[in-house]
Amino acid sequence: MLTLEKPKASVTPIKKINPVFQVKDLNIYYGDTLAVKDVSVQFPERAITALIGPSGCGKSTFLRTFNRMNDLIPEARATGEVIYQEWNILDPRLDVVALRKEIGMLFQKPNPFPKSIYENVVHGLKCAGVKKKAVLDEAVEISLKQADLWDETRDRLTKSALSLSGGQQQRLCLARALALKPKVLLLDEPTSALDPISTAKIEELLLELMKEMTIIIVTHNMQQAARIADYTAFFFQGRLEEYGATAALFEAPKVERTKQYLSGQFG
Amino acid sequence: MTIQSPHSKDLSQTNHWLLEGMKRYRRDLGAHIFIYAVAIFIILASLSLTIFLITKGVQLFTHDGVSLFTMIFGSVWDLHDGKYGALPLIAGSFAVTVLAALFATPLSIGTALFMGEIANKRGRKWMQPVIEMLVGIPSVVYGFIGLTVIVPFIREHIGGIGFGLLASLIVVGVMIAPTIISITVDGLLGVDQSLREGSYALGATRWQMISRVVIPAASPAILSAILLGMARAFGEALAVQMVIGNTAVFPKSLVYPAATLTTTITSSLGETVEGSTANHSLWALGLILLAMSYVFILVIRWIGRKRNA
Ligand SMILES: Nc1ncnc2c1ncn2[C@@H]1O[C@H](COP(=O)(O)OP(=O)(O)OP(=O)(O)O)[C@@H](O)[C@H]1O
Ligand SMILES: [Mg+2]
Repeated sequence: MLTLEKPKASVTPIKKINPVFQVKDLNIYYGDTLAVKDVSVQFPERAITALIGPSGCGKSTFLRTFNRMNDLIPEARATGEVIYQEWNILDPRLDVVALRKEIGMLFQKPNPFPKSIYENVVHGLKCAGVKKKAVLDEAVEISLKQADLWDETRDRLTKSALSLSGGQQQRLCLARALALKPKVLLLDEPTSALDPISTAKIEELLLELMKEMTIIIVTHNMQQAARIADYTAFFFQGRLEEYGATAALFEAPKVERTKQYLSGQFG
Repeated sequence: MTIQSPHSKDLSQTNHWLLEGMKRYRRDLGAHIFIYAVAIFIILASLSLTIFLITKGVQLFTHDGVSLFTMIFGSVWDLHDGKYGALPLIAGSFAVTVLAALFATPLSIGTALFMGEIANKRGRKWMQPVIEMLVGIPSVVYGFIGLTVIVPFIREHIGGIGFGLLASLIVVGVMIAPTIISITVDGLLGVDQSLREGSYALGATRWQMISRVVIPAASPAILSAILLGMARAFGEALAVQMVIGNTAVFPKSLVYPAATLTTTITSSLGETVEGSTANHSLWALGLILLAMSYVFILVIRWIGRKRNA
């Protein structure tokens, strides 16, 4: 469990939606350069939110604050607040190991460990101290089924994960994250390295998973955002330019820049 | 070659760009010939070396009538007495190699992990040249330090006369450690950053990430590093000779003299007469060494193939 003092700031929940993340005045620096500027936003629970915007606008940097992956970059620094379950994620006292068990992540390039399929899936659980074989076996079956990979791998769980195709590897990485039963799933362009069929499969899975967890996905593929996201946030040069229900944002963008981006005038 | 056709120009008469390929080919030809010649030279050199060693080495068995069995399993080695049992020497060589590897491996992997995983870029930038410099120090220097520092220390604080396997394993262990470190560091740096991120993202601590992902991913490199270190330890003559005591007996204890294949060759070579049985026996020892080196190389290559598979 997450343990630390409650932040002093009080955040009023926005109407109707139940926010899982409340971001307040978030600034992220790499050294002296500001990559994410003054972002304040709330992301709803059990929904898919897409982050779109031109390359280099800070989408990955923003996404990686939610599981504190930016900690791995020594010169990265964040100010502001990101409230998750009443805790400020940015608090240096926060237990990032516990945080990352609740907030899973899928990367652009499938990154299975050079180990067996089974070992890939149980990595997170073993790190969490789960040792019972029965528990691990069950988790492997359930999460591989959730990632729609069970039928393809049930007979070869001891084979190397690298023997899988790119699309299968990405689904394995999904299963690996799901094994920890995360409450939130962060995805950074998870299908940009995949073929259309594998992409469709991942999208289908996300739509299924959305019923149980919050999903935030960075994508360069506007159709993908339109297909799966309930909400879309448009970033430009580190700023959150526009945020709202996907259909509304795509059909009638309020901000001029969003309109230009969606019509392909830059990107 | 000229191509004549009513519809095409004769290319050989012009400087046409379509002929650039021909020129390029001629230019490359020189480089090709050089590379092939060098490769053939190297292959021939190692081949003739092997053949030379074999013809010299087998004379002990063919000309002097010593059986291979007595040579490998005989337990008394005494050139003056005509005893050619090399088992104590083989045992000495393996003991030095294995003990040095046992001593150097944890030390080296720890250092390599520090350099590759813990230290920041600046720290690594400082340590890398130091380690590379240590690899380049001639073995006589290690032996000399062993002789003047380690041997007296063992004699005074541990026991025995100081010369022996303990001194050897320390000297050789320290000597091969830089080799193991630098190959292991290369292996660690070769592990894709995305694997580390993937492990962290699943809630691994740094140590869990290192032990469950980085080390397994780098294990082929780490294994080759250890084997390369062992090959070096097995073949090392000078440094070992200075601290092992050079007595061709089974090593009873770590602090009493022993001998290895290499130290016996180097220390006895001057005493034997060309063509004598004793001289042939030393060549036979060389043959054993060569065979062992081939085994080491085969194992390293086999591991390398597994890594690429
Ligand atoms: N490790 C880093 N060090 C310094 N600057 C960085 C680092 N990572 C990203 N940046 C800078 O921060 C800005 C935002 O980068 P980020 O990767 O978040 O963009 P992005 O929107 O994800 O782009 P893309 O769509 O290309 O993935 C860019 O200007 C980038 O150059
Ligand atoms: Mg990105």
